[in-house]
Amino acid sequence: MKAWWTWRLALAVLLLLPLAGGCKKKGPRPGELGAGGAGAGLGEEAIGGGSSLERAKRGLGPEEDGVLGDVHFGFDSYEIDGAARDVLARNADWLRKNPRAKIELEGHTDSRGTIEYNLALGAKRAKAVKDQLVGQGIAAERISTISYGKELPLCHEEDETCWARNRRVHSVILGQ
Amino acid sequence: MRRSCFALAVLATLAAAPRARAVVTAQIFGPGSESFPIAVVPLKNLGGDAGGVTGARFAQILSHDLDLSGYFRLLDPKTFIEDQSSGITAPEIDFVGWGALGAQALVKGGVTVTGEAVTVEVRLFDVPGRQDVPQASRRYSGPRDDLPRMAHKTADAILEFLTGERGPFDSSIALVSTRAGRLKDVYRLTFDQDDPVRVTDERSLVVNPRWRPDARAILFTSYREHFPHLFQVELPARRVARVVPGPGEVLDGAWSPDGSRLLVTRVQGGNSDIFLVDRAGQVLKQLTDHWAIDVAPAWAPDGRRFAFCSARAGSPQIYMMSVEGGSATRVSTSGSYNTSPAWSPKGDRLAWTTRASGGFQIVVAAADGSGPRTITAAGSNENPSWAPDGRYVVFSSTRAGRVHLFLADRDGRTQKQLTRGAADDTSPAWSPRLD
Repeated sequence: MKAWWTWRLALAVLLLLPLAGGCKKKGPRPGELGAGGAGAGLGEEAIGGGSSLERAKRGLGPEEDGVLGDVHFGFDSYEIDGAARDVLARNADWLRKNPRAKIELEGHTDSRGTIEYNLALGAKRAKAVKDQLVGQGIAAERISTISYGKELPLCHEEDETCWARNRRVHSVILGQ
Repeated sequence: MRRSCFALAVLATLAAAPRARAVVTAQIFGPGSESFPIAVVPLKNLGGDAGGVTGARFAQILSHDLDLSGYFRLLDPKTFIEDQSSGITAPEIDFVGWGALGAQALVKGGVTVTGEAVTVEVRLFDVPGRQDVPQASRRYSGPRDDLPRMAHKTADAILEFLTGERGPFDSSIALVSTRAGRLKDVYRLTFDQDDPVRVTDERSLVVNPRWRPDARAILFTSYREHFPHLFQVELPARRVARVVPGPGEVLDGAWSPDGSRLLVTRVQGGNSDIFLVDRAGQVLKQLTDHWAIDVAPAWAPDGRRFAFCSARAGSPQIYMMSVEGGSATRVSTSGSYNTSPAWSPKGDRLAWTTRASGGFQIVVAAADGSGPRTITAAGSNENPSWAPDGRYVVFSSTRAGRVHLFLADRDGRTQKQLTRGAADDTSPAWSPRLD
C-alpha cells in the first residue's frame, strides 16, 4: 500500500506534464476535459483535487465534481439512476480518452444513520459506480474504491439539499 | 440482606410518600427519579491536605457520579449546616439539623495526604436512622493520582448498597473526537474529567472504537494507511499496532468476551461481511456471506452469539447469529432503519439506533428484540454502548448543538450530558469495570 503515497506525491508532476507539453502521446488536450464542468483552469482542477481525506488533512474541504463529475444517490441507496448514468457516460468517455489515467472512487453518504453502516453503504456506492464504468469498457485495474461514509461531508446543513450533495461517489484522478 | 435495613427504609419512606415531608417526591426510587436527597460534605483534613483541596475534589467527583446516576438530589453545599472541619463520626453529627435540611443520607469522611500518597475514609450516614452504614463506607489508600478512582468506587458502593447493583462509574468511555482542530482521534473520558483525553495520534480518520475486555486496550479503525484497517492502542502506553494484517479493508471489530477472538467487518468487492478472526487477525470463519450490507458485530456476553446490522431485507435491521455460523434471526421488528446494536453486559437486553420521525433515536429491547422502547426524544441520537452494570447507556446526541455524549438509564428517565464544547464527540464505547 506504500504505493499510494508515491502516487500522491507524483500526482502533481504527472498531471502537469501534459499541460507543459511534456507528454506527447496520449496526454489529454484541454478541450477534452470539460466533462466535470471544469471549463477553464484545467490544471487547477486536476491538481487541486486529491482525495477527500488528504484534503481534510490539509484543512481543506472535500472537492465537489472535478474533471470527473460526482455521481449522486437516493437515501440509503446505491442504485445508479438516470442522472447518474449520464454523469457516468461522460466520466467513462474521459477515461477512454485518457487511457493511462487511474482513478479512485470515493463513496460518501449523507449525515443520517450511523457511522459504521454508512461506511458499508459508501463502499456499496463506490462499487456500483466501478461496476458501471467496467461495464462501459474501462479496465477494472484502473479503478480503486474507498468508502468515507459520512465522515467527510461536503456540507453540514441538515436539509435535503445538503444531504443530496453528500450522497455521492467522487472520482479522484490518481495519475496518468 | 444486611444492606437492606436502610435501603428498605428508603424504599418504604418513598413508597409512603403521602405522609412524607416535602423533600420526598411521589416518584418511585430509580434512575431519573432524582428522589433521594443526599448531602456530600468535603472530606475533613486529617493531615497534609492543605486548604482542604483534596477533600473538596473527592466530594466533587463523588457528587457528580451520584448526580449522573439519576437516583439522587444533591443538596446545595451552600446550605450545609456542618462544614469540612466538622466531626465525621455519628455522635458528632447533627442528624436533626441535616434532617431539617431535607437530607435522607449524608456522606462525610476524612483525608490524609502524605507526600504522593493519599488515604481517604468515607462514611455513608442514614440521617433519619442517625447512624452510619458500614456496608457503604470505604477506606482507600494509594497514590494521589488514584483519588478520582477512590471517589468513583465510593459512588459505586453507595449505589450498590441503595439499589442492589454496583454503580458503573469506576470505568471510562472511549470515543472519537474532533477536538483541538485535529481530524479525528480516539479519546478517553473518565467521570471526573470535563474533557476527554486524546489517546491516539492518527492525524487521519478514525472510527468505531471498542474496548478489549480487560479495559487495557481500545480497538479502532483508522485510515492512516489510506484504506481502513483495524488497529489497537494499548493503555496506558498508547502503543498502536495493526490487529488484522493484510490489504483487506476492515470497517469495525469487536473482541470476544474472553479476549480470544474477534468479530470484524471486512469489505470485499464493495460488500461488507462479518468474519471471525483469531488474535493474530487470521480468518477462522466467514460468518455472513450476503450481497447486502452486513456490519457492526456485537458479541453477546455469553460469547456464543452476536448481534449485527444487515440490509438483507431491503433496509438495515438488527439480526442475531451464532458464532458457529448458520442462519441469521431478525430481532428488530419495527422501523425502517435499525443499526449499531449493543449487548448489555448482563446479557438480557440490546440497545440500537433507530430512525424515527426524521431523526435517530436509541431503542432498548429484550435480547430477543421484544418490547422495544425508545429512550431518547430530543435531537438525533446514535451508537449506544452499555455501562458495565447494564443499567445505563452512553450515546452521541445532537440535542445540545454539536454532537456530544449523553448518558441515559435503560428506561430513558434520566438523561445527562457528558461532554461539551466546540468539537464533535461520537462513537462512545463504555469500558468494562476497571477491576
